[in-house]
Amino acid sequence: MTERDPAQTGASALAPEPGTDAPICIHPIRVRTEPGEVARFSRETGGIGTGDFVPLTFPFRWLGLPAIRGVILQSIGGEGFLPVHEAQSFAYESSLRIDTDYVLAVEIGSSDKPPRLIVTMVVSTLEGEVCARLETVLRIVRLTQETPS
Amino acid sequence: MIAAEGSPAPLDWPNAGEAIGGQDFGPFERETLVRYALVSGDDNPLHLDPEAAKAAGLAGPPVHGMLMLSCFEPLIMGWRRDLFITRLSAKFLRPLLAGEGIRVLGRVLRSQKVPKLELVLRLTARGPNDDLVILAEATVLLKNTSPLS
Repeated sequence: MTERDPAQTGASALAPEPGTDAPICIHPIRVRTEPGEVARFSRETGGIGTGDFVPLTFPFRWLGLPAIRGVILQSIGGEGFLPVHEAQSFAYESSLRIDTDYVLAVEIGSSDKPPRLIVTMVVSTLEGEVCARLETVLRIVRLTQETPS
Repeated sequence: MIAAEGSPAPLDWPNAGEAIGGQDFGPFERETLVRYALVSGDDNPLHLDPEAAKAAGLAGPPVHGMLMLSCFEPLIMGWRRDLFITRLSAKFLRPLLAGEGIRVLGRVLRSQKVPKLELVLRLTARGPNDDLVILAEATVLLKNTSPLS
């Protein structure tokens, strides 16, 4: 298995290799519930798009941040594999507020049979108060043929 | 934000078995998936590229599971606006293909008044031919609606 560059992926230097049970810990990431992004997300997900509250599933979009996405893609195994969303959970202690900063703590674990990634994310205030916990289960699917680049 | 323990139940507090009326979402056309990919950051080619979907064994690009899961929040809020969704967990049981739509509905599994006002909801999303696409469960609490809170 090739050595990973933590600076490139955002993964902790002490992170274990994918395929083991110990999760990869990503350095805390600061995010913000930008009003425009919240409103656009709300409009596309069945909401009325007024942007006056943060939709429950909004934090899922933070999995697409480069520091998280890079580790997920690397853990999947590269080209020839794709993640299929198998299960998802959200547990809220309090609602997220619009135009507010939060800190993400993300861990990415894996299992082999069948191959899956389990991504857990904790969303906290800058003061350390936990607002929400997410768990995402991705089954890793091997593609049967090359996809066009 | 949450009604304090021991708060009196609203007169219309639901009982176990009460139905949460069905609501249709979609059909989710390809353009909808592209827009969702933009606002959510989930640009997995499985959802956007017919060739990638085919290589994964699907007849066409599947709708993002999270796009469908997002439909439960407007369902619940359309049913009662006095609830805070504290937990939502779901399994994506089968793919819904681009161009298809879902009907989401629910039922009160458990209704609790003591020590706090809490409901456990069973939620489903069904696609064409009434196929079960998502099976979910939510826990909701009564919001504190006091003007003094």
